[in-house]
Amino acid sequence: MLRGLALVTLSLLAFNAYAQDKRAYNNYMLHCQGCHLPQGKGALGAVPRLQNFVGYFLHSREGREFIAQVPGVTMSSLDNEELSELLNWMVRAYSEEQLPEQFEPYTSAEIAQLRKTPNPDPLGQRNSILDVVAEGLPVLADEIATDGYAY
Amino acid sequence: MKWLDKITETRARKVAQSTSRRGFLGKLATVVVGTTAAVPLLPVARAEQSGGQQPAEEGDPNSCDYWRFCAIDGFLCGCCGGSINTCPPGTEMSPITWIGTCENPVDGRNYIISYNDCCGKTSCGNCLCQRNEGDRPMYRPQLSNDLNWCLGTQSVAYNCSTAVVIGTALDE
Repeated sequence: MLRGLALVTLSLLAFNAYAQDKRAYNNYMLHCQGCHLPQGKGALGAVPRLQNFVGYFLHSREGREFIAQVPGVTMSSLDNEELSELLNWMVRAYSEEQLPEQFEPYTSAEIAQLRKTPNPDPLGQRNSILDVVAEGLPVLADEIATDGYAY
Repeated sequence: MKWLDKITETRARKVAQSTSRRGFLGKLATVVVGTTAAVPLLPVARAEQSGGQQPAEEGDPNSCDYWRFCAIDGFLCGCCGGSINTCPPGTEMSPITWIGTCENPVDGRNYIISYNDCCGKTSCGNCLCQRNEGDRPMYRPQLSNDLNWCLGTQSVAYNCSTAVVIGTALDE
C-alpha cells in the first residue's frame, strides 16, 4: 500500500514537472521564439544565441543577474512566476551542458527583484560579463576566441 | 536435457510458492495505470510532435477572413506567388518574426501562429489584410505588427506575410 502511494506520488510529481515544462515551452514560443528563434538558435549580428551558450552566464553572480535584466525579460508581459519557470526551463533545455554543476534555479521572488532594475546597457555589458566568466572557464575562453560571443 | 527440465521445474515451483499472483498483478496494474494516467508516455517526444501538428482547417487561405490571419497586418503571400506557408520566388523568409495565437473554428482550439514576412522585393500589393487582433503598440515591440519584421534577412524590403502554424496553445 505504502509503495503504491509512493508510486502515485512520484507519478504526480512527474506530471507536475511535465505540465510546467509544457507551459514554459509554450511561453517560449509566444514570447521569445519570434526573435531568439526555435531552439534558441539566435541570429548572428541581430539576436543573441541561447543554444549551447546561455548557460555560461550562470557561472557568475553578475551573469545570473544579467539574464534577468535584459529587455526581453524586464519588459515581458509574463508574470514573475511564469518568467522564472520559463528561464529555468530554457537554460536547461537549450544550454544544459554550459550550466555550472551547482545551478540553483531562479525563484520568482528573485526575478521580481531583478527585473525592477533593467540593465541600461545590455549589449555593452554582455561581453565584459562573459570575459570575466571566461577567466575561470577555459571552454568559454576557447569558444570566444574561435566563434565570438554568440551575438 | 532432463537436467534443464528439472531446473526449470524447481525454479518455477519456488517462484509459485514464494510469490502471490494477485500481488504481482496488483503491482503491475499500479505501475501501468499510474504511469499512463498521470504521465503521458514519452512527454518529450510528444511535446515535439505537437509543435509540428497541423490542424484540420476550413475556408479560403487567400481570403483575409481565414482563421490564421487573426493578427496579421500585410499582404497575403498566397496572393503574391507564394502560399500561406511559403514565400514567393525571389524573396527570402525572415527568420525573426512576430508570433501570436488564433482560434481555429474547426476544433475551437487556439494555435500558435508565426507571421514570417517575405523580404527582398517591394510590397506585393495584393490581398491587403489588417485584422490586428492582439496587436500592441510599438513600445511593446515583440507584440507589434507595425514594425518591419524583415530582420535577419539580406534585404529589409517587405513583400508579403505568411501565417505558419507552429504549435497548439495551452488553454488558459
